[in-house]
Parts: sequence; structure tokens; C-alpha cells
Amino acid sequence: MGAATRIAGKDLKLRVRDRSAFIMGIVTPLALAYIFHLVFGGTFSEEALDLQVGLVDLDDTQVSQSLGEALSGLEAEGVLVLTDFDDTASAEASVEDGEIGAYILLNQGLGAAAIQGQPFTIEVVGDVDSQTTTQVTSSIASEFGSAIERSQLSVTTAIALGQPPPPDELAIWGEEAALRPPAFTFVDVSADTRQLDANTFFAAGMAVFFLFFTVQFGVVGILEEKQGGTLARLLAAPISHTSVVAGKAILSFALGLISMTVLIVATHYLMDAEWGPPLGVALLVVAGVLAATSIMGVIAATATSADGAANLGAIIAVILGMLGGTFFPIGQGNDFLARLSYLTPHAWFMRGLANISGGAEWTEVLPAVGALLLFTLVFGTVAWVLLQRKLTR
Amino acid sequence: MTAVLAAQGLIKSFGDLIAVNGVSFEIAEGETFGLLGPNGAGKTTSISMVAGLLEPDNGTVHVAGTQIRTNSTNGRSDIGLVPQEIAIYPDLTATENLRFFGRLYDMPGETLDKRVEEVLEVIGLSERQDDLVSEFSGGMQRRLNIGIGLLHRPRLLILDEPTVGVDPQSRNAILESVEDLSGEGIAVLYTTHYMEEAERLCDRVAIIDEGVIKAEGTRRELVSLVGEKDRIRVTVTGDLVEVARVASELPAVHEASPADSGVDVLANDASSVLPELLSRVAATGANVTGVAVSEPNLEAVFLHLTGKALRD
Ligand SMILES: Nc1ncnc2c1ncn2[C@@H]1O[C@H](COP(=O)(O)OP(=O)(O)O)[C@@H](O)[C@H]1O
Ligand SMILES: [Mg+2]
Repeated sequence: MGAATRIAGKDLKLRVRDRSAFIMGIVTPLALAYIFHLVFGGTFSEEALDLQVGLVDLDDTQVSQSLGEALSGLEAEGVLVLTDFDDTASAEASVEDGEIGAYILLNQGLGAAAIQGQPFTIEVVGDVDSQTTTQVTSSIASEFGSAIERSQLSVTTAIALGQPPPPDELAIWGEEAALRPPAFTFVDVSADTRQLDANTFFAAGMAVFFLFFTVQFGVVGILEEKQGGTLARLLAAPISHTSVVAGKAILSFALGLISMTVLIVATHYLMDAEWGPPLGVALLVVAGVLAATSIMGVIAATATSADGAANLGAIIAVILGMLGGTFFPIGQGNDFLARLSYLTPHAWFMRGLANISGGAEWTEVLPAVGALLLFTLVFGTVAWVLLQRKLTR
Repeated sequence: MTAVLAAQGLIKSFGDLIAVNGVSFEIAEGETFGLLGPNGAGKTTSISMVAGLLEPDNGTVHVAGTQIRTNSTNGRSDIGLVPQEIAIYPDLTATENLRFFGRLYDMPGETLDKRVEEVLEVIGLSERQDDLVSEFSGGMQRRLNIGIGLLHRPRLLILDEPTVGVDPQSRNAILESVEDLSGEGIAVLYTTHYMEEAERLCDRVAIIDEGVIKAEGTRRELVSLVGEKDRIRVTVTGDLVEVARVASELPAVHEASPADSGVDVLANDASSVLPELLSRVAATGANVTGVAVSEPNLEAVFLHLTGKALRD
């Protein structure tokens, strides 16, 4: 391996002098991530984090108060900001002023209707300009509504069994059922649906997108040596063919690792990107760089010239990057695209990162790391074989 | 003399094309051996097999007794290769290029440092050693290209058309440094399509065309092989017919005939016949004003063997 590291070291020197790897691996992704952060970062995070929700509780029973408590719980978790209103008019005014995005109206008689199994309504009034807030508020309201319905059902079932409970107990059943915390999907967010905040998304998206361009500067070196005639010298030297290929792979890996590390640190300090627990991020980055190196290795092996490899590599990197959701989150509302995106290492990288963002355990990254290592195994083997063969023909 | 290089029955095809078809030759220590042939003759293919870059379809290569294979590093340290294309890194300095390749040959630090200095001296680049190669002239790059091949003191140095595209001055410097190599006991394999280079540098020459060695030997052996003679033009005033008659009486003279303002004499070896010839001519009373000798060259041999000119 001495020869491999010597070749990699020589190439690293050349790449440093050439500066294009530096521009591709660090300057461009950092600049783009920062621009995205400036342009979209603000609006993204406000929408996602500052849901301004109002509550008008005209019923004021134990049942209706349970919604208020649930909303307060969400407020404590930072999901939304809750404002209580005494009447509909003041809530309406607040929506019009843009202070809140939507409010929930609980009319008088809700608690009684809930206990007696009568029909009831819960109203949600939202601002057309605050679609996200309105949607989230509606889903909270309908969750609450179904919770009440479920409790009514259990009461009805009990009656149907021929053992009508005493009326006061009946009331308690209904209340207890309604009081059960509604299963809001984002209260206990499962790993599948966790999202990166906007800043981290742009930072990670650009980093992994450009990673595929950066690692090219290693493996494409084989084609450059071939075109420059120096490959003959390497092959004539008392070193094995594998060490030539290994040298290029080592350089790809090193360039990828350097660029990712610099980008992670820089975006953390420049634009508050939260990459997550260091161990998890490190595993993900190593696996991601390996996968990128393998795929670009296959491209270098199939291209006939360094320029050809760069062009083909760029096309593949853009397609995979788009499909993998490095520019915009993919697949929301489109299951097919979402499933398709997992054919790209990019999607696994972004997913792995989302899984460990927001204070989760580093082990949550393991499925994504496994997937990336699978990419490495498949494409890496093909690249290894093809590149060796490319040396002598 | 032991052979440093022994190439036996090398054959290599690319698809339907048989690029090299049964090439064999040996080179001894201190000997410079030339492969002379036009573009596409199979010179580069042959030496690629010798250097272990290309696996022959058939045949073997031994360097200092070790068989050279593409998939083995055995024997490679004994070979220095100077590829036809300039094979150096333009974005490294001359020293960095030398040091990088030197390390691939596992030269230990101190030896390498000393040897790099020596080689820079030999190729005349000491002054420019820390400049990027991209700033070098074509001739300087060619010299560095050769220097890298020499660096690890190989027993066999292979030079593939090292003077192509070089200005006359650099070319002369290159030829001189190759001439010095045989003095150091290095076996040199030199390919070229320049007849003059083969004649000047090589102890033995193999004429190769269409993948086959047509003839091999010293220049004189090759020349006599095809029956070409030295041509002596004696410029005289006097009886030209008489001069021609006298000249043709000499046993070493093949033919003598009057030509404008002199006599043309064909002989096997001009240098041995010249003193006798001139004294005979003087004896006729003719006044010799000039003598010009033209020896048959490899160009003529090539033409004779292949029916075509060396350069198209
Ligand atoms: N890698 C290759 N693939 C196909 N044909 C080749 C290859 N290398 C050389 N040739 C052909 O083999 C013949 C000999 O080439 P080469 O050895 O380079 O000749 P020379 O060095 O004497 O100019 C030429 O016809 C050339 O086109
Ligand atoms: Mg050639």
C-alpha cells in the first residue's frame, strides 16, 4: 500500500495546485448553501417552527379544556405558539391582522354532546396566506374530533352489550376517552417522517450533491495518467496494478472526507446547520463518501477520456442529486418518487441525517449507513474490476 | 558478454492486426541496440512487451535472467523506460517528478536525494529543478523524460523515439547523453525512425517493418547484406577515361566510371581503398582537386529490404 499512498499523495499535491477540486468541493457548495440559507432559510423555518394557533373555547367543559391542554403541550414542545381568545370576534381580528395563522372554535355544548353521543362540530378558521398553519390546525382539530368519536363508540358498545353503565359513570367514561391525548402525528414523530430544518437541509443537500463532483478528482486521475502517458511509467515501475487503482480511490476518499468535514464545520458556524451527533454524522459521511467514490469509479472505468468521465459524471451526479432530494425534499405527496429516490445514495444520506437530527440517538443513522455501504459494495466491486482492466488496455 | 535483455519470439495482435509478429533480439551489457522502422512498424508494441506493460500473445522477455510479466513486479527495477509520449506531470517541478518516480522504485531517501541531483546535472536541468515542468520547453521536457528513466540506475534503458519533435540543439544533447550511457555499462534499447540516429548511436540495429525484423546487425553488416557499396567521387582535371581505367584495376574497386568533372568509384570499403586509389590516380598525371565519400546508409538498406522509404 506504500505505492498507493505515494500515488495518492502526489495526486493530492496536483489537486491542491490545480485548485479546481477546492472550488468544486468547498467553495461552490458552501456558497450555494449560504445563498439558499439567505433566500429561503427564514421563511422555511418560520413556517415549520412558528405555527401561530388560536383557541376559542366557548364550551369550557372538561372535554373542551382537554384540547387546550393538548395544544399547550405542543406549545411547550415548540411545535406551535398558542393564543387563547375569549370570543370569536377577537380571534377573527387576530387572523386578519396576521398575528395568528388559524384558530379552533369549540362551540358551547360540545362537552355535553360528546358525553351523550350527539353530533358535534369543531370549527377551524384559517388565513389563506397561512396554508401550512391552517392545515396543521385542521389536522389537530380532526384528531381531537375522532378522539371524541372513539369515546362515544365505546359508550355505545357498552350499551349494546346490555349493561348500560350508570349515567354518572357514563359521563366519566366519555370524559376520560376525550381526555386521552390525541395521536397527533408530529407529537411523536417517527423516524420515517422526520425532517431536517431548512439550514441543515441546504447545507447537507449541497454538501452531498457536490461530493459526487469532488470525488471524481480522484478516480478520473486514472484516465488523466493514461492520456498524459504517465500511466506507462506507473505500470513499468515495480508496483502492483492494484496500488495504482487504490491510489486513486484513496485520493477520492480523502478529497470527499476533507470537503465534507470542512462543509460540516463551516455550515455549522456560518448558517447554524445542525448536523447531529458527531459519531452518527461521521459514520454517515464515511459511508457516503465511499458510495460516491464507488459510483464515480464505475463512471471513470466506462468513460474513454477524462473529459468524457467528467461530463458523464456531472450528468449522473445531477440526476442522482435531483432524484435524491438534495435541492428540494422529494416525494412529499408522491409515493412513487419517494420510493424511487431511495435508489440514490443521496436520499439515504439525507434520510440518515434527518434521522439523527434534532437530538436523536446516533444509532438511528445505521439503516442509512447500511444502505450506503451496500451501494459501495456493489458499485465499488464493479469499479475495482473495471478500473484494473482499464490499466492495460 | 551476458545478455541483459533477451526477447524471444514476441507476438502481439490487436484484433485482426498482427502488430508484432515473432520479434527476437538480445542486448548485451554496455551495448546500444536500435529498432529502426517507420511509424506503425511495431516498435512501441515490442518495447511495451519488453517493459512488462503489455502481455505478449506469445514469446518471452527476460531481463538480467528474470522473466518480465505484466502481472508481476519481478525484474522491473532493472528496467528504465522512457516512453514515446512525454510522460511527466506538468504541475510538478522537475525535482518533484524525479522524486515521485524514484520513490516508486523504493529508493531510500538519501540515495534518492543524491541521485536526483546527479540526474538533474546529466540532463542539464539543475538550474531549473524547482520550476514547474509546464514552464519547460519541449526539449527540456524530453530531457526530463529521459532523466526519470535513468534515475534508478536500471541495467536496461528503453528509449522510445526520444527525439521526436525536439529542436536540433536539444536533440544533439539527447544523443550525446545516450552515447555516454553505454560507457556506463547500461544496455540501451533505442527505437527510432531516424536513420541517422540509429547509425550514430547504435552498435547493432534491427530493421523492423510490419511487425517483423527484416535484418539485424552492425551498420556495416547490414549494408553488405544488401550488397550496397561505398561511393567515392574523385574530382580531377586530366584524362578522365584513363583515371577510370586505372581505378577499376584495383581489386577492391567494384566499378569506376567517368562522370562530370571527375570519376565515380564504387568500392566495398572506401577508407581502405582510398590511399591506394589516390596514388594511382596521381600517377596518371591527373590533378586531384577533391574527394567525397558517401557510404551507403540504412535508408538504402531499408529501401532495399522493404521496397519503401523509411519516412513517408
Ligand atoms: N492498443 C492498440 N490497439 C490497436 N492497435 C494498436 C494498438 N497499439 C498499436 N496498434 C497498432 O499496431 C501497429 C504497431 O504500432 P506501434 O507499435 O505503435 O508502432 P510504432 O511504435 O513502430 O510506430 C500499428 O498499426 C498500430 O496502429
Ligand atoms: Mg511508437
